[in-house]
Amino acid sequence: MDPQLSFLFWGYTVGWLLIFGYLFWISQKERSLRKKVSELQEAMEERWKQKKA
Amino acid sequence: MLSEFDDRPAVPLWLLAGAALTMMVHMYLVFMWVPTEAAQGIVQRLFYFHVPAAFAQFTASFVGGVAAILYLVKRDSRYDDLSLAANETVVVFGLVNILLGMMWAKPIWGIWWTWDPRLTSAFLLLFIYAAYLVLRPAAPVEHRATICAVLCILGMADVPLVYMSNRLFRTQHPAPVVGGGPNSGMEPRMYVVFAFGIVTVMLLWWCVLLVRRRVARLERASADLTRRSHELEDIRSY
Repeated sequence: MDPQLSFLFWGYTVGWLLIFGYLFWISQKERSLRKKVSELQEAMEERWKQKKA
Repeated sequence: MLSEFDDRPAVPLWLLAGAALTMMVHMYLVFMWVPTEAAQGIVQRLFYFHVPAAFAQFTASFVGGVAAILYLVKRDSRYDDLSLAANETVVVFGLVNILLGMMWAKPIWGIWWTWDPRLTSAFLLLFIYAAYLVLRPAAPVEHRATICAVLCILGMADVPLVYMSNRLFRTQHPAPVVGGGPNSGMEPRMYVVFAFGIVTVMLLWWCVLLVRRRVARLERASADLTRRSHELEDIRSY
């Protein structure tokens, strides 16, 4: 492969991989945080019920 | 607590579709349509991603800085969340900018890196924001947002230095081709692809920013709920 073409290919590949890799990572983090917050909210409601009882 | 807003997707569908579409068109324009630059050859096409990434990085720095100032004035945690999200994207797009610049430099200059004013100031900018991300979790919770806001305003102040460095000093880095004076300029089709590259990367940056801001809000909600849960536990045990 032409060395210039190789640098062009790897430049775009690394750039897109970094951005999409980061986007994938924060999307996964969002999913797990959403689940955690939902569980915490349920646990809080349960405790409030127990406290009232 | 989560609001109704947080139940909706972080990125609207129209924005996601727009970013995907412009990205595909941009790839076509870069690899199939734009003419090859006569002096540097095909590797010059890295320009259409390298400069838009820097543009996104500078915009992110500005958004993060303005959000930090608004936080210091209004003490509203939503501005701190936006600032954190924008500052993290400064690092991501800054890395893309620097790595692409290195891949462009190697075949043209014969070296990956040199400590000229443009490259050094760009590295310093990246370093300030990387320090921000490292220091943030280490800062005391009650002063975290304030300390981080000050650091981020310092980072924003470095952006004009990076932008002006190849105008003020003699650098290995090329002089600006857009708005760089009487001897600057490009072939008209190159301008089209460059402008399209900016739109593409900015749309992508916007998507990333919205998802990261949502994560920041969820982290805050999670910490808040955990604290309240412990308080409730303490009341019960008392």
